Amino acid sequence: MLAGQQRAEAEVLAAAEEIVLPQRPGWLVLVGRFIRRKPLGAFGVAVVLLMAAAAAGAPWLCRYDAEETFRVANPDYVPGSLEPEDRLDSRSGPSWKHWFGTDQFGRDNYARVVWGARRSLGVGLGALLFAIIFGTTIGIVSAYFRGWFDMFVQRIMDSIQAFPAMLILLLLVSLTERNLITLTMGLGFVVITGAQRIVRSAVLSAREDPHVEAARAIGCTPFRLMAVHILPNVAAPIIVIFSIGIASVILAEAALAFLGLAPIEPPSWGMMLDEGRRYMTSQPSTMLAGGAAITLTVMGFNLAGDALRDILDPRIRLT
Amino acid sequence: MQQYVVRRALLNVLVIFMVITMVFLALRLTPGDFALRQAGGQMPDVQSAEEGIEIVRHDLGLDKPMPKQYWEFVSGLFRGDLGDSFVSKEPVMVELRDRLAPTIELGLLQVAVAIMVAVPIGIISAIRQDTWLDYVLRLFAIFWLAVPSFFVGVLLLYSLARWAHWSPPITNYKDFFEDPLLNMQAMFLPALAGGLAIGAIIMRFLRSQLLEVLRQDYVRTAWSKGLRERAVVLRHALKNALIPVLTVISLLLATVASGNVVLETLFQLPGIGFYVVNAIQQYDYPVIQGVVLLVAAGLVFVNLLVDMAYAWLDPRIRYG
Repeated sequence: MLAGQQRAEAEVLAAAEEIVLPQRPGWLVLVGRFIRRKPLGAFGVAVVLLMAAAAAGAPWLCRYDAEETFRVANPDYVPGSLEPEDRLDSRSGPSWKHWFGTDQFGRDNYARVVWGARRSLGVGLGALLFAIIFGTTIGIVSAYFRGWFDMFVQRIMDSIQAFPAMLILLLLVSLTERNLITLTMGLGFVVITGAQRIVRSAVLSAREDPHVEAARAIGCTPFRLMAVHILPNVAAPIIVIFSIGIASVILAEAALAFLGLAPIEPPSWGMMLDEGRRYMTSQPSTMLAGGAAITLTVMGFNLAGDALRDILDPRIRLT
Repeated sequence: MQQYVVRRALLNVLVIFMVITMVFLALRLTPGDFALRQAGGQMPDVQSAEEGIEIVRHDLGLDKPMPKQYWEFVSGLFRGDLGDSFVSKEPVMVELRDRLAPTIELGLLQVAVAIMVAVPIGIISAIRQDTWLDYVLRLFAIFWLAVPSFFVGVLLLYSLARWAHWSPPITNYKDFFEDPLLNMQAMFLPALAGGLAIGAIIMRFLRSQLLEVLRQDYVRTAWSKGLRERAVVLRHALKNALIPVLTVISLLLATVASGNVVLETLFQLPGIGFYVVNAIQQYDYPVIQGVVLLVAAGLVFVNLLVDMAYAWLDPRIRYG
């Protein structure tokens, strides 16, 4: 009896050994699959990683400081001219020494593009953190309580959204001291309305889920319900908002810098485009470097965001 | 329907009023004003800077108590008076009217460019879904979505100046009815630069709408009747796919208005956007308030009109 039981047990154990469980694919396989299925998304992620690396490693990635100035001999110099600017030219095209040329003060464009990544991504990251903290809170609370409170909050959001974002930003820039922190918060503020709307619609369906019902039945407080049981359900839309929103914030910041309404201190791509266009016919390298950096970054975040949406939740509509 | 329109119009008026009040307060409660910038240099007969500031403030009515200023502002609104510009001393109403034409013209031209580019491309992309042509067109759209319109504007200016030795007439802007040719020369580039950006959004949206509609039963019926592809797509599918696109275009108007602040400044078009950037830099409160009011009212009522057009185009939609 006992021996039989032991034999049976051994057989069961042996049988279990034979079953080959499907292996969870390693992360390399997953990355490979992502690249094959979403080549454009993979390109976007690569651009984002490149820009993030530039932003993080700016001090170690450039040979020159962003404010250091260089002069080269002016090829068009006419002997006899007394103006020193005529003999030396600060603007130069791409060369081995200055990959993207130099600007009107003789500053290295490559260094300014790399440092510009730190500014653009920093502003974008800050603005989106601000927008997502407030947008998620507003969206969850508004959808959780519904009724007149929801109605009231949504009408306020509508009236903010009725405004062109650029007008709000222009007002803000004119009303406050020009520094990067207020600018970042202003850019974040503009994103809140859209973010809270997407979060709200996700919460409206999540709050009816059985697991939320169950949590309510065992006596969870509204705060705990929202923070512990509803919040994880809106993670997917938040990630997508983050990626697409950061692209539009970077674009808006560049536009303000282009208009000359943003702080001038850390190097900025929008400012390079604006300054570079003034002498673009003689030396287009500054204008092209700034514009290309903006375009590439915005495209990278958009493509990455599109792919993330397809993978996480294709139902999220952003327009 | 009528009731709906009236109710929304009233609500819109309320929203606009709230917004303009907020702007009024924000302008006055934050540090820095026109008098501070203006005082000093321009008035030789004034002893000290403080005295100059006081005189300018008094002239502009900025020294009155806030409720009084607000009351004057609101009662002016009802008389159709937005006050006088601090800088030019002209009535804001008149200045806005003069600057409205270039802005509206530019917006319309951009939407026209966008539709001309987006509709054919969106259709081709949808009916040739997942072919190489579709991929190329979608890449095209993604590209235009990412390039800032002001970069496109600068690039257009650069390439025309470099290779065609032509640049748009920047100093003497002429009204369309005054000199259509000169006007178009100034408008052409910003219209193209802004139009392509919104065209990309419309194209992507039209493609996905059309793909949805093309799978519906009535389209299959049209195919099985033996209609040609042209008739199925253009006469049957496109009509229904275009209705949601209309809403997107109306939502894009806010984007158009935003983008044009930058494009008008870049191309020196004497429109509302260029005007407001200057006004902001000079703390010209009446002008800023006027532009905010105009833009908010314009957008809100255009959205209402679009909703009405929407109901008219799609009889299934009823507003209650």
